[in-house]
Amino acid sequence: MTDALSKLATAGDIARAVSTGKAKASAVIEAALSRIQAAEPTVNAFTDIVAERARKRAAEIDAGRHRGALMGVPFAVKNLFDIEGLPTRAGSKINVDGPRATRDSALVRKLEAAGAVLVGGLNMGEYAYDFTGENSHYGPSRNPRDPAHMTGGSSGGSGAAVAAGEVPLSLGSDTNGSIRVPSSLCGVFGLKPTYGRLSRAGTYPFVDSLDHLGPIARSTEDLALSYDAMQGADTDDPACIDRAIDPTMPRLGEGIAGLRIAIAGGYFAKGAEPEAFGSVAAVAKALDATKTVVLPQAEAARAAAYVITAIEGSQLHLPRLRTRPQDFDPDTRERFMAGALLPGAWYVKAQRLRRQYHAAVLALFEEVDVVLAPATPCTAPRLGQKMMKLDGVELPVRANLGLFTQPISFIGLPVVVVPLQCPRGLPIGVQLIARPFNEQAVLRVAAHLERTGITSAPPA
Amino acid sequence: MMEKKPDIERLVAEGAKTVSLPIADEYRAGVILNIERTLAIVRPLLDLELDDALTPAPVFRP
Repeated sequence: MTDALSKLATAGDIARAVSTGKAKASAVIEAALSRIQAAEPTVNAFTDIVAERARKRAAEIDAGRHRGALMGVPFAVKNLFDIEGLPTRAGSKINVDGPRATRDSALVRKLEAAGAVLVGGLNMGEYAYDFTGENSHYGPSRNPRDPAHMTGGSSGGSGAAVAAGEVPLSLGSDTNGSIRVPSSLCGVFGLKPTYGRLSRAGTYPFVDSLDHLGPIARSTEDLALSYDAMQGADTDDPACIDRAIDPTMPRLGEGIAGLRIAIAGGYFAKGAEPEAFGSVAAVAKALDATKTVVLPQAEAARAAAYVITAIEGSQLHLPRLRTRPQDFDPDTRERFMAGALLPGAWYVKAQRLRRQYHAAVLALFEEVDVVLAPATPCTAPRLGQKMMKLDGVELPVRANLGLFTQPISFIGLPVVVVPLQCPRGLPIGVQLIARPFNEQAVLRVAAHLERTGITSAPPA
Repeated sequence: MMEKKPDIERLVAEGAKTVSLPIADEYRAGVILNIERTLAIVRPLLDLELDDALTPAPVFRP
């Protein structure tokens, strides 16, 4: 077991050490705060550090209060999660002028009820309209594997803080890929659960039809531990489903026996750099997966997700676009303004396609349990890079890093991203996709890949 | 018949008035560029024919 005070310690390592008295929560938190202080000048993952709150909570744990599966685990959240006493930035300058949160968001409360300790809020692309991790107000989060490169976004700080070993666990949001893109580019594990599975109460919205929340971590076990702690119905989020909790930890070690695994073809097998397809091929080989399936109308699904995002997101921010346009990040302002002018007919057509595509993809899951697809079309672009070449075609970075994630979140499917490390280069991730509410299957496959050494957290 | 290229500049000018969104001159080119990029991305959706019976899910359930 890794030393609980080490940057390489997983949430599971820490919880086992603290719960058995081998480590003090206070010492774990002090070690995390020191790592944050040391790494931040380079990584810029945090916008808020709640050191005194964390120390108080850790002392309470050491005094025998707050036991649970995540006892003593330091974690941080994308700054669109409410943290009591702080403004909920959502990556913006504008929200700092708003009220301070009077209560922690639902998922922060659930993780703390399981013994975890919040240490801060994390940098993100403004209002989550972002795949880069860049932010003109707070500076970009920087990729710990190479600080000249992007973290991916919009949960850029969430990916960077875990990849740098500042904290073993973070929370992000994912509307079109904002957990999965930084997980891929920073080389860490990410889980975007089924739409409606986890409560979004107490978080700043972006696109209600597509918004999800989930964890980023250094191991599959940590995804499962935190996911299990966060499940449960919540009437404060109208989209949160009243469904029995389905713990994933008990079956995490079962392996892949009985799971039918296929590779996504068609749309997911073109328009990207070789490393994206190479990573899928490596994972498929390790799983002995040879069958290819085609998600029908995936390109149109991506287009529909794009339209729903542009129109819902812009509608949300229209009052501020009218009164404070100068206070927006230049990289989101004109995208939001453009979205406010798109025809309503496009939006309704996108929602109609969503129903058709959903039915077609669910039929496909009668034949397979898990589908493999690239998480990003390339490794992390350089910070400031506006355009990229994919398969010879020049495309804007900000709109296209999520072209493989958008058709999946569009219908709320659960996905784990597993990272593949490259000793002499940047990491890249692979999406493991399942039918709704089958988080169990993708976590089992991820755990199997981790045991066989194909996927792993970043080295020290 | 060839499809006529949409006049995005005019769409932005008139659309902004319609939704009461002032767009300063320095932002206008960026808005036009983003609508052009959106048009390119949404084309596969716009080109689809959907059955009249296909309605959006009243409450989306995954």
